[in-house]
Amino acid sequence: MTRAIALACACALAPSGAAAHQLTVFASVDCEAVLVEAKFSNGNAVQQGDVRVLDGQNTLMLTLPIGEDGTVAVPLDSVDHSGGLSIEVDTGSHDNYWIVTPDDIARNCQS
Amino acid sequence: MPVLKHLLAVWLFLFATAGATAQEQPRVVAVNHPLQYFAERLLGDDADVVFPVPAGVDPSFWRPAIADISMIQSADLILLNGAGFATWVDRVSLPRSKLVNTTAAIEDQFIVTESITHSHGDGGEHSHEGLASYTWLDPALAIAQAEAVAVAITARDLASAEDVDARLAALRRDLEALDAETAGALAGVANIAIITTHPRYEYLARRYGLSVTALEWEAGATPDEAGLAALRAIIEDKGAQVLIWEAQPSAAAFDMTGALGLRNVVFPPLAHGVDGSSYIEAFADAVSALAGAGSE
Repeated sequence: MTRAIALACACALAPSGAAAHQLTVFASVDCEAVLVEAKFSNGNAVQQGDVRVLDGQNTLMLTLPIGEDGTVAVPLDSVDHSGGLSIEVDTGSHDNYWIVTPDDIARNCQS
Repeated sequence: MPVLKHLLAVWLFLFATAGATAQEQPRVVAVNHPLQYFAERLLGDDADVVFPVPAGVDPSFWRPAIADISMIQSADLILLNGAGFATWVDRVSLPRSKLVNTTAAIEDQFIVTESITHSHGDGGEHSHEGLASYTWLDPALAIAQAEAVAVAITARDLASAEDVDARLAALRRDLEALDAETAGALAGVANIAIITTHPRYEYLARRYGLSVTALEWEAGATPDEAGLAALRAIIEDKGAQVLIWEAQPSAAAFDMTGALGLRNVVFPPLAHGVDGSSYIEAFADAVSALAGAGSE
């Protein structure tokens, strides 16, 4: 009984989807590539995981292993980025994403 | 023939003018329905207000498409709720000059929650703090958010300051009336232990002194055996008499919880609008239902 109440209370206090929120993904763009960075919320870099690159229609174009420093570069000429890109990082236990719009690419390429 | 050419020229002119007007109308994006409602009240016809989350999708955890983000990036004003609401805003690039966090001035009134303890990487077992996000269920906080929206609209010259001031005064009056009516209606519920199917009602409970224990059920879903076991445990421990659902469940679900002695109430948390009702009307209707359940 006490365990059931404790579980209910723990759930009550938990922000929904909490487990999915503890991985931070960021992607920056230049004219050559999208640089993807993934960290846990404690600051540790992700050391193992897959980076999935999807196009504007949400079609998977590329899957890459993330580097030991928690980064990976996706060359722009390796993907169709005309409709923007969705970058997903999945460590097996955590996942998150970053969205790159066509404007993001154009803006950063011009700067 | 010259008459026809003249008519065609006039038609083309009107068509082009109409198109230009449509394009020139400013666009404001809101991350939830209450902010959409405040912006619409404050802007009147001076701008288009867009709440881009489809019906049936939880705006807290909506994953936008790339085209959605392109549309949002080109808006004139983007109204954020803050308090950790709408996780997608941290997963895209948004123009800072157009962003307004409508709870920036009331962060000292946030309710801090604690997430489930877990572990990952080399960090060992730990837990993360979170924030209760549904600030607009406290009308006093909603007023502060509406004021932030008004300041942002005026600062960006999306409507005249005189018009916005007058509209804000009317909106504030409506929200103050909602607050007073809610306080009166829920006064009789303060002594009743309430269970909610999801942790959405922290600010409502604090504002009106409600005793609330939350479960973690999916909106409107029929509970499984584990869910019912957790519910029974809370009933036994707290003596709960009322169960708040965030969405209408099946009749079978109502029967299950009713059989445990609970009075069922649907109180939509209003992140989405309710068809046919404004934010204030839907809030008042839900309060009325809760007060009715408490007095049975």
